[in-house]
Amino acid sequence: MTTAAFRKDLIAELPYLRRFARSLAGDASLADDLVQDCVERALLKSHLYDPARPLRAWLYAVLRNIFVSNWRRTSKFAGAKNVDDLVGLEGSVPPDQESNFSVALITDALDTLPAPQREVLVLISLEELSYKDASEIIGVPIGTIMSRLSRARAHLQNILEERGTPVLRRVK
Amino acid sequence: MKMFEVVENWALHAFADGELDADEHKAMERLLSENEDARKALAAINYQKSELRKAYGPVVEEPVPMVLLLTAQGRSGSGRLPYAAVAASVALLLVGGALGWGVSQYDGAGPINIARRALVAHEVYTGEQRHAVEVAANERDHLQAWLSKRVGAAFTVPNLEAAGYPLLGGRLLAAENSPAGQLMYEKADKKRLTIFVSANVSGKDEPVKWSWSDKLVTCYWSEGKLALAVTGEMSKDEMTALAKNIYEQMEMKG
Repeated sequence: MTTAAFRKDLIAELPYLRRFARSLAGDASLADDLVQDCVERALLKSHLYDPARPLRAWLYAVLRNIFVSNWRRTSKFAGAKNVDDLVGLEGSVPPDQESNFSVALITDALDTLPAPQREVLVLISLEELSYKDASEIIGVPIGTIMSRLSRARAHLQNILEERGTPVLRRVK
Repeated sequence: MKMFEVVENWALHAFADGELDADEHKAMERLLSENEDARKALAAINYQKSELRKAYGPVVEEPVPMVLLLTAQGRSGSGRLPYAAVAASVALLLVGGALGWGVSQYDGAGPINIARRALVAHEVYTGEQRHAVEVAANERDHLQAWLSKRVGAAFTVPNLEAAGYPLLGGRLLAAENSPAGQLMYEKADKKRLTIFVSANVSGKDEPVKWSWSDKLVTCYWSEGKLALAVTGEMSKDEMTALAKNIYEQMEMKG
């Protein structure tokens, strides 16, 4: 695969990398920093990419590794966000979007998941990757993927039910 | 309610995620038809999926920030990428310098980087099948009014059907500091042509120029209130004829 062809395919994946990064990191500017680092690393390591495999899964693995090493280094992403961040996230949703409040609800709930559960959940429930791809990206066996997925879904469901309807959340 | 304790069954997740083979899938369907708790748990999984898509799906539709596109093109100017040739480094400095200058002097819409921005936007969106455009050709009047308003200069959406390129539609792009528009056309052989439309913030007229990247040629110029770039996979002569055609049609309102 030539460099030009690789770049072209990489550019076509940028919107999806941004979505994955946003769902992983929550914060939009942090997410784009992650994508930026991912793109730079992907270009440096493009000779390691096997064109027989889907580019998206390879790029997600690159992005995820950067995310995890940042997270380990700074633990900046660990735990719940503070109130200001939550307000910022709600404000970033276009006001004409009818499901404004339920969007805030699911993103807040996602923020309460432990990182290893969150990454499995977004790879499978949002990005719709196979268990096998998720297992390769994260580097754990499929059985581990499935148990984390099951725990993530149960955890998310409890949070969604505890926090009640979006309308209730509207009253501050 | 502890949904997942009622049916603690990996197969339910695998069913929801399309991971079961045909026989297992059928068995799961049978279980679902008989077991209300399993149906509730499945509904909960699917509800979460649809909420996640609602929350994060729109990110895919957002314009990709220019800095990411430039990095992917290897033109970020960050200096962290390996460049084999000195010529490439010089070109990089020139592009980086032009961009910096463009932001301060030209609001990013100057003629120097318009070809680069048009090319990047072309490569991103012509690769899309389902989301190639935001506003489709059947809303041509709306597209024209909307993009004219956002770009800040009235223009006509050119009709290129006689040249073999029917309109697909268009979209709003994030330029450096000001909005730009992209019009997309598609030939019968699926080759796509894009027109990058931005306000000519410098106010200076620039003559027609060409640039090449792989098989793509970009033809760009600015006149009056508009700075334009046309990108497609074709010969220089073919592009020049199209650009002339576009020039004549677009400047009517400009």
